[in-house]
Amino acid sequence: MKGVDLRIDSVAKHYGPVVALGGVSLTVAAGEFLTILGPSGSGKTTLLKVIAGFEYPDAGHIVVGGADITDVSPAKRNVGMVFQNYALFPHMTVARNVGFPLQMRGVPKPELRDRVFRALALVELQGYEERLPAQLSGGQQQRVALARAVVFDPTLLLLDEPFGALDRKLRESMQLEVRRLQRRLGLTTVFITHDQEEALVLSDRIAVMDGGVVRQVGTPDEVYERPADDFVAAFIGESNLLAGQVAGPDRVLLDGGASVTVTDLDGGKGRVRLLVRPEKMVIGPATNSFSGTVVEAVYLGQAHKLRVRAAGGIELLVRGDRPMEAGEEVTVGFAPQDAHVLRGSA
Amino acid sequence: MTRARQVHRRAVGSALALSVPAMILLLLIFAVPLLRLLALSIEGGSLAAYEKALGSELYVQVFLGTFKIATLVTLLTLAMGYPVAYLMATSGRAWQFLGIAFVLLPFWTSILVRTYAWMVLLGRNGVINRTLVSWGVIDTPLPLLNNEAAVLIGMVHVLLPYMILPIFSAVRKVDPTLVLAAEGLGASRLQAFLRVTLPLTMNGVVAGITLVFTLSLGFFITPALLGGGRVVMIANLIEEQVRELLNWAFAGALSTILLVLTLAAFWGISRLARTRPA
Amino acid sequence: MPLRRMKRRDALIGAGAAALAVRPAFGQAEPQRPGQIVVNASGGSMNRAMRKAYFDAFEKDTGIRVVETSPVDLGKLKAMVASGNVEWNLTEIGGQDGALVQRLGLVDKIDPKVVDRSGYPKEAQNEYLFASSVYSTVLAYRTDAFAPGKQPTGWAEFWDVKRFPGPRSMRNHPVDNLEFALLADGVPADKLYPIDMDRAFKKLDEIKPHVNVWWTTGQQPAQLLLDKEVVLATGWNGRFYDLMKKEAPIAVEWKEGSLKQGTFVIPKGAKDPYWSNKMLAYMSDPKRQAIYANELGYPGLNLASIKYIDPKAAPHMPTHPDNLPKQFWLSAAWWDENMEKSLDRWKQWLLRK
Repeated sequence: MKGVDLRIDSVAKHYGPVVALGGVSLTVAAGEFLTILGPSGSGKTTLLKVIAGFEYPDAGHIVVGGADITDVSPAKRNVGMVFQNYALFPHMTVARNVGFPLQMRGVPKPELRDRVFRALALVELQGYEERLPAQLSGGQQQRVALARAVVFDPTLLLLDEPFGALDRKLRESMQLEVRRLQRRLGLTTVFITHDQEEALVLSDRIAVMDGGVVRQVGTPDEVYERPADDFVAAFIGESNLLAGQVAGPDRVLLDGGASVTVTDLDGGKGRVRLLVRPEKMVIGPATNSFSGTVVEAVYLGQAHKLRVRAAGGIELLVRGDRPMEAGEEVTVGFAPQDAHVLRGSA
Repeated sequence: MTRARQVHRRAVGSALALSVPAMILLLLIFAVPLLRLLALSIEGGSLAAYEKALGSELYVQVFLGTFKIATLVTLLTLAMGYPVAYLMATSGRAWQFLGIAFVLLPFWTSILVRTYAWMVLLGRNGVINRTLVSWGVIDTPLPLLNNEAAVLIGMVHVLLPYMILPIFSAVRKVDPTLVLAAEGLGASRLQAFLRVTLPLTMNGVVAGITLVFTLSLGFFITPALLGGGRVVMIANLIEEQVRELLNWAFAGALSTILLVLTLAAFWGISRLARTRPA
Repeated sequence: MPLRRMKRRDALIGAGAAALAVRPAFGQAEPQRPGQIVVNASGGSMNRAMRKAYFDAFEKDTGIRVVETSPVDLGKLKAMVASGNVEWNLTEIGGQDGALVQRLGLVDKIDPKVVDRSGYPKEAQNEYLFASSVYSTVLAYRTDAFAPGKQPTGWAEFWDVKRFPGPRSMRNHPVDNLEFALLADGVPADKLYPIDMDRAFKKLDEIKPHVNVWWTTGQQPAQLLLDKEVVLATGWNGRFYDLMKKEAPIAVEWKEGSLKQGTFVIPKGAKDPYWSNKMLAYMSDPKRQAIYANELGYPGLNLASIKYIDPKAAPHMPTHPDNLPKQFWLSAAWWDENMEKSLDRWKQWLLRK
């Protein structure tokens, strides 16, 4: 079955005085991999529970393939979900775990066996049918959970921070595997994570959430390069944020006193903040140059991270390709087109 | 590898050594009296006591009656205790605390007092009958006391905590996301309960059944007082042999038969629990 | 009393002091006083009465503390004697078990030099058994259930459910009940033994459907009458007396009551047997027996004690001249021989629907 589109329409939910979701609207196209990215407490898990049907929203609708399922019980939603701790049934074998959703749908035995076999083949776990979850490694458990979530051809696949418990290496290979599987089955997928790197690697689009609302939706590129606000900018990747006052069509007077040239002003006026990613910073003279002292130098493997203190109390993070030492005098800078202008209050 | 095995073996060895005092204590307070009981019942190498116990209609009848009462009490406490334990385990902290308090409170009251309380409630002139008569629901008092039903009520009341507490702790150990997962995968609430919660709490159920069943078999005060003398448990007969007739050989034989039947029942229960389809 | 409060050290001074003793009863050398003695009895109101009548005085006179334990437990007695660890200095036993404990050798002889039973009837002077009091299993009823003049007298009327309707309670035990059944069936009181069991059980069949509660503890029948659970009951006279003192609407019919003796024994191998006997001496004192009787309705067997009983309490005593001739003495000998057989038959009869 091909995935269908999902529409989340002004969904709100509060627990007592605490607002978990403050009117969230999102659409996920058929077969799309959407990541909901946010810190803990941002409402992302609540949103997932509302989609799965485990929580009933105070307001709003969940529409899947054009059908409003807000009032449909979780059992009838046909949504495959992989839980944070996998939620495998500890008293059932791998085969019974994966067969469970088919059994609940009254699939006849021979067909059930066949589909369980194919699902386990999909996650490369043939031969593990009779094991109990406790006899599997974390990665294997994850695959079982994945097989169980897709074996019944769900309309949606929901993933709730499924990689959190895996070590880094296993996590990376599982990420790729999940993405491959999702593409192959064409499943509309909503993925929850607080790990921005994971979000950037896996997603077709990312929705960044905070305080129960969506701050920005966009491709990984868009949210990284052109964050909508300070929160998104700070949450995804490292950044230099320079506050200042527009002083001309392409000039900004920074609070530290320096004047820089930018291309992104679009005739704006008043207070702005400039976002420059550390890897866009260059060591040496540039259009916008700052002289300063290295206060911290960290070796990262392929690159060196420097913290440079320049005149006017400005501190800059710079990603460079040569080793430097704390105390060294240095000139750093950035090109006008590499500064992204942020408006509104910080 | 060998080093690890050595360390392991040494750990096992010291664990065994540490458990020796406990083993000796168990042997002294448990095994020795049991063996003496057995020896008592075959005093003088004679099996006459067993012949009498198993050959007499009275004792066979009382054994059957005792197991019937114990089984009924166990089923009733299970039917009432599971939902209570489940609700307690799945509700909020405050309710949980309140529930435990209500379940444990009767523990601090003597069985005798609780039994007399039921007599006050169920009597011909008791609270229930008087209320029903004064409301005009009935003309003559209902026979609520001094029968088997009264015995069951009294025993269930006393034994309910022994069923609730192990099930409560078993339900609490079940990860609630498992139930969510089952529902998300297409199971109705009932199916999720039957397929996930129930099998995962079976150990609590078996513990509860075991406790209640054993304790029921040994009851005699409550049946004597609430049954009006019509409900005779094997413990009554054993007590009579020990305290009144001083026929300890026969008492030993009755106790041994009870012990063997009880162990057989447990074997059955544990098998039942194990063969349950996952 | 010159020897009152004599300290242990003084006792050790020995024969010299003893020779100087004023009272002849104390002529023999008094053994060392233990810190305490243990008396095991039925408990409840009976222990309270014993304390008031005997224990307090004993403690005051001898300085030996009296520890009360309960209940009466023949099995425990046997276990104590068998293990040689006898905790009790004195214990009560059931009236019908006197022959049994002697046959099994569980008791020591009473020392006639210490315990003076000259005031007792001859039959109550067994060398192993100390008859502490007389009690009777009697018919009791609620006075508000039966108008004066229409009140039941005797077991034939207890059996007559037409003239005396209402639920009944009897003891869950063949003792007394077999006798009552035969009496109800017209057997004269002096022809009860040996009991015709077939006839007795046949008569019991008639009353069985009307017995609401087969009681097991002595307090039950009194409570059942009080709670209007039953209107007629068998029971021990003292338990009813206790309620009648509190003016409960309950009366006792002495006709065909079943008399028996409350019995105390010294367990075989009991520690400090002298002091066990000494306690029995207190318990045989007629004045003290009267205190006990006034309290409980169980008179002692020292015939002289009648003089000291409160005139108001006297009519409630089974030994009162008006009551005694109406009753019969239960045969402990017959029961000793037939207890197990009749108990089995009783249980079987009770379980039959």
